[in-house]
Amino acid sequence: MSWYQMHRLVYDWVRAGEVNSGDGGDGRAGFDISGYELTDDERKAFENRDIAAFYNLGLHAVLLNRYARAAGFARDDYRKLLEPFGEKEERKGRWQR
Amino acid sequence: MAEIVLAYCSSHAPMMSSARMAAPAEQRDNFFGALDHIREEAVARGVEACVVLSNEHYTNFFLENFPQICIGLGEKNWGPTEEWLPIDKVWIPGHPGLANHITQHVLNVGFDPAFSHQLELDHGIMTVYYELDHDMKIPLVPIVQNCAVPPLMPVRRAYEFGRALGDAIRSYTGLQRVAVIGAGGLSHWIGTPRVGDIAEDFDRWFLERLERGELDQLLDMPDSEIELAGNGNHEMRSWLAVAGAVEPIRATKLAYEPVYPWITGMAVAQWETLPDRRPETSATAGAQDTTRREESLT
Repeated sequence: MSWYQMHRLVYDWVRAGEVNSGDGGDGRAGFDISGYELTDDERKAFENRDIAAFYNLGLHAVLLNRYARAAGFARDDYRKLLEPFGEKEERKGRWQR
Repeated sequence: MAEIVLAYCSSHAPMMSSARMAAPAEQRDNFFGALDHIREEAVARGVEACVVLSNEHYTNFFLENFPQICIGLGEKNWGPTEEWLPIDKVWIPGHPGLANHITQHVLNVGFDPAFSHQLELDHGIMTVYYELDHDMKIPLVPIVQNCAVPPLMPVRRAYEFGRALGDAIRSYTGLQRVAVIGAGGLSHWIGTPRVGDIAEDFDRWFLERLERGELDQLLDMPDSEIELAGNGNHEMRSWLAVAGAVEPIRATKLAYEPVYPWITGMAVAQWETLPDRRPETSATAGAQDTTRREESLT
């Protein structure tokens, strides 16, 4: 398990297309992942742009959202990919009592 | 001494900018109508600088070092970071004098914020700041808060930080008229199977608590309960910091619209800090407490 490395990879990849975006560059093209210590599952998730796999590997939700947008997934589309992994919420907040 | 002449909070869903027309017209008009009103008030009140609190979305910080609070001290900051956000990418003027004063003040009273001399501002601040000033010329002191990456600052601590922030602004001698703004919330989910849901019942309850000055019901909420209204609901910290900055003034809701195309409960609320402008119904929390005590004695 390389939770940090997976996050670092996704963060770097997303940021490669954003930092100083006023300059119009896109560092995501040809992005090199060889320097990241990833498990096979993490590498496959990245190579396959597998949103559900990233979710199940524990990628932080904010980063997952940014990754999905950067990778070209509309929200409705990635919701459909994640819905099978949702759990019914049984708890209630104080505003619901 | 500076006066907080304008205090308000607004949701900051990026789609309010990038997919503005996706919202139903009535919702769009209500939400932006409130922000138009705020912009006019900022001009009328002669706002010289603004302090904007918002969530850090992995824009400036990552897992090597993730401050709970970071104050932008720089002469300028860059934004918006997102290449797809249709707001001009510009250098936004900071206000180092005010920012350094705030930082020193909150350090003196027990907070330990990080600081930065150059921040990148994402939709969190930029959407709301742009609606305040389309020219993006008003000097901006950005304060980014961790509202996303556990472990998180308790919401009561965020409120207490806001109190210190308010005291800091009011003790600054370099300006006379300052706005304090919270950007974020209300209910929304991102990066989860519930993305797109909105907890309207929570949003209305939350705004009602702010309007009634019943903050204790908000300030003891654990993160596990906050998340029942979405993982984005942790951004209530920005709202509570503003509430703290101007306490005991109560909020007045200017707009609430559950905008599903923007996947967020979109709200604007103002805390009227000018006594002569305060509506009769917008009493202070302290005044309400007095009423309750009197009722309990009868």
